[in-house]
Amino acid sequence: MNALEKLFIRIVQRVNINLRELEFDAKPYVWDLIPKEQMKKFYAFYGISPDHPLNLQFKNSGLAGSYFLGQCSVTNSLLYKTDVRGDELKKKGDRFQFNNLNIPISKDEEIVIEDSAMVKTLVHNYSHDPETLEKFFIKDTISTHYANIHGSPSDGCFLGPFSTVDLTTMRDCVIGTFSYVQAGEISHLNIDPGTVWVRSPGAFNFLYHYPIEQLNSYIYFKAGIQPQGKLIDFVEDRKEAFQRIFDLVNIDPVPVPDSSSLDRYAVVKPKTEIGENVLISQRAYLQNSTLGKGANVQENCYIINSNLMGNNVTAHGAKIIETNVGENTFVGFNSFLRGQPESRLTIGNVCIIMPHTIIDSRKPLTIPAGQIVWGLITNEKDLKTNSISINAMSKINTRLTKGNMFFEGNGESFVSAFQHRIQHILEANGAFFNCTTKKGQQKGSNKEQQKGHAQKNQNMSINTIQPYPRGKLEGLYPTISIKP
Amino acid sequence: MDTYFIKDLMVPISEYATVPEGATLFEAYLALENAQTAYDHNKYTHRAVLVLNKANRVIGKVGQLDVLRALEPKDAKFEQFESIRKFQFSSQFIMNLHDQCLMQDKPLVDICRKGGLIKVEELMQTPTPGEFIEEDASLNIAIHQLVRGSHMALLVTSGKDIVGILRLTDVFAAIFHTMKTCGIEMNVDQDSDKDT
Repeated sequence: MNALEKLFIRIVQRVNINLRELEFDAKPYVWDLIPKEQMKKFYAFYGISPDHPLNLQFKNSGLAGSYFLGQCSVTNSLLYKTDVRGDELKKKGDRFQFNNLNIPISKDEEIVIEDSAMVKTLVHNYSHDPETLEKFFIKDTISTHYANIHGSPSDGCFLGPFSTVDLTTMRDCVIGTFSYVQAGEISHLNIDPGTVWVRSPGAFNFLYHYPIEQLNSYIYFKAGIQPQGKLIDFVEDRKEAFQRIFDLVNIDPVPVPDSSSLDRYAVVKPKTEIGENVLISQRAYLQNSTLGKGANVQENCYIINSNLMGNNVTAHGAKIIETNVGENTFVGFNSFLRGQPESRLTIGNVCIIMPHTIIDSRKPLTIPAGQIVWGLITNEKDLKTNSISINAMSKINTRLTKGNMFFEGNGESFVSAFQHRIQHILEANGAFFNCTTKKGQQKGSNKEQQKGHAQKNQNMSINTIQPYPRGKLEGLYPTISIKP
Repeated sequence: MDTYFIKDLMVPISEYATVPEGATLFEAYLALENAQTAYDHNKYTHRAVLVLNKANRVIGKVGQLDVLRALEPKDAKFEQFESIRKFQFSSQFIMNLHDQCLMQDKPLVDICRKGGLIKVEELMQTPTPGEFIEEDASLNIAIHQLVRGSHMALLVTSGKDIVGILRLTDVFAAIFHTMKTCGIEMNVDQDSDKDT
């Protein structure tokens, strides 16, 4: 047994100790999930730019195919094709608002990953936990394919494939396959697969459960097998395109407007048009699509034969195929929206497609402007059950039950929470940057502050680091400290 | 209180309603009715039925609440409502979901007809260690066990055998009898005297 395998056993033990109350054994789920042979083959890479802090520390860890940006330390961990994006971390002097407290940030925030294993996971945003504002920790945690750990410190947790924990501190929890949790703080919970839970204590509580049989055809995962289903088939079918851009040192640049950025590790297939103020992150896949001004396409997103009309948020892991998406429409994490060439899906302006929504219709389907949509939709009837107009939702003040969806609380708070968040994401991504006035503007001026990731990411270079190819430390990286 | 012993207060098991395992809920009710008619001499009637195995040992107890619980709907919808409790919905919200569902439920006569055929093993409560008390134990030990476990009755043992049932209502009556005879003085007018 080499050092990498010993490390993996140690991580699984630590996770199991944390999850003993839930009687969850991570080992049969993950033992074959991390391809140990591949750990020595792939380089890791990190971004450097004048707009992002740089402080990376790696110790006793495997990092194959993983990406790092900003301030991050990784110790005693195995990361496989995982993206750790520290471009939204808090800076010393920032203020954090929590209830009626305005808390000063005493030092630059850091992502700290310890004793954890992560497969094709995205780590992004910043800690929203008022108890740990300067340290976004992920410890004793295992996350699997296409999980998103978004602004969510984690201690002793297991995340199933395509699960997302968003703005929530989690301790000793199992997050089921394709589940989305945004609940502030959770502990000792076993969340069933296909759960979509959005809670703001004292304001609202939204819960949806996928019909499990139907969800299984999209994504299915159990102990001893690799994740399988239509979502896995979909990404596997396009794997080769990514292989090419990771293998080549120099790739032909794809022209984009000055105010937009296209990551070097994104795939862009022909007949794709990219507008102003567009952000395209690494591992995004674009094919024969139009991205209007201010649209963004985040990690692990696929946009195929589709049109995004502008100011669209396509959150981490969302997939849009044969679809027209109206202006200012939000498509949440890991959503899968698929029309057909002869029967396209049309989504109106200013819609909220909630995280982890699956719309997969064989017939043309049109979602009117101003709708909130959730859950599994395969036809008109499903759409009627799993949607409501934003206006109608705003008038709910007690409770609402529709199909497998339960809502309690104030609908207006729910809607405005989403709307504020969407606005913030667009701002952070540089959707509202005014490029016509950028010449001569003062550093720190309002215009300068409108710069977002789309503008800042243009000045980025990528460096690579390599693991030991053989020997006792095969697949592990040496201790590395990277600073300006 | 120490003047009372459990065996003085218990209902002997021979006077208590019992059914063999495998009996239906309706048969348990008939056994209860018989015991009430034959043995209850005060206004507090027996309210539970003991379930005996083939060796005549007590393996469970069916109380009134167990019966009502057994008649509750158990379809997938209700299970779903219960499963969402952990997601921090209010009790009022869950209750409202149940209410809406119950409004569409079957008439009571249909529910009772079906419920009467349920086997007692499906609804009985298996006694926990805190529900047993020795027949020679003192009453204050019984009080402690009843309070700590929120029990309505205790199973009284003599060695390995269950010989009776100690009911909360009989303990309650013994306590008040002791109060009445221990010489507590009435002091209703003392406060008003001070005011004047």
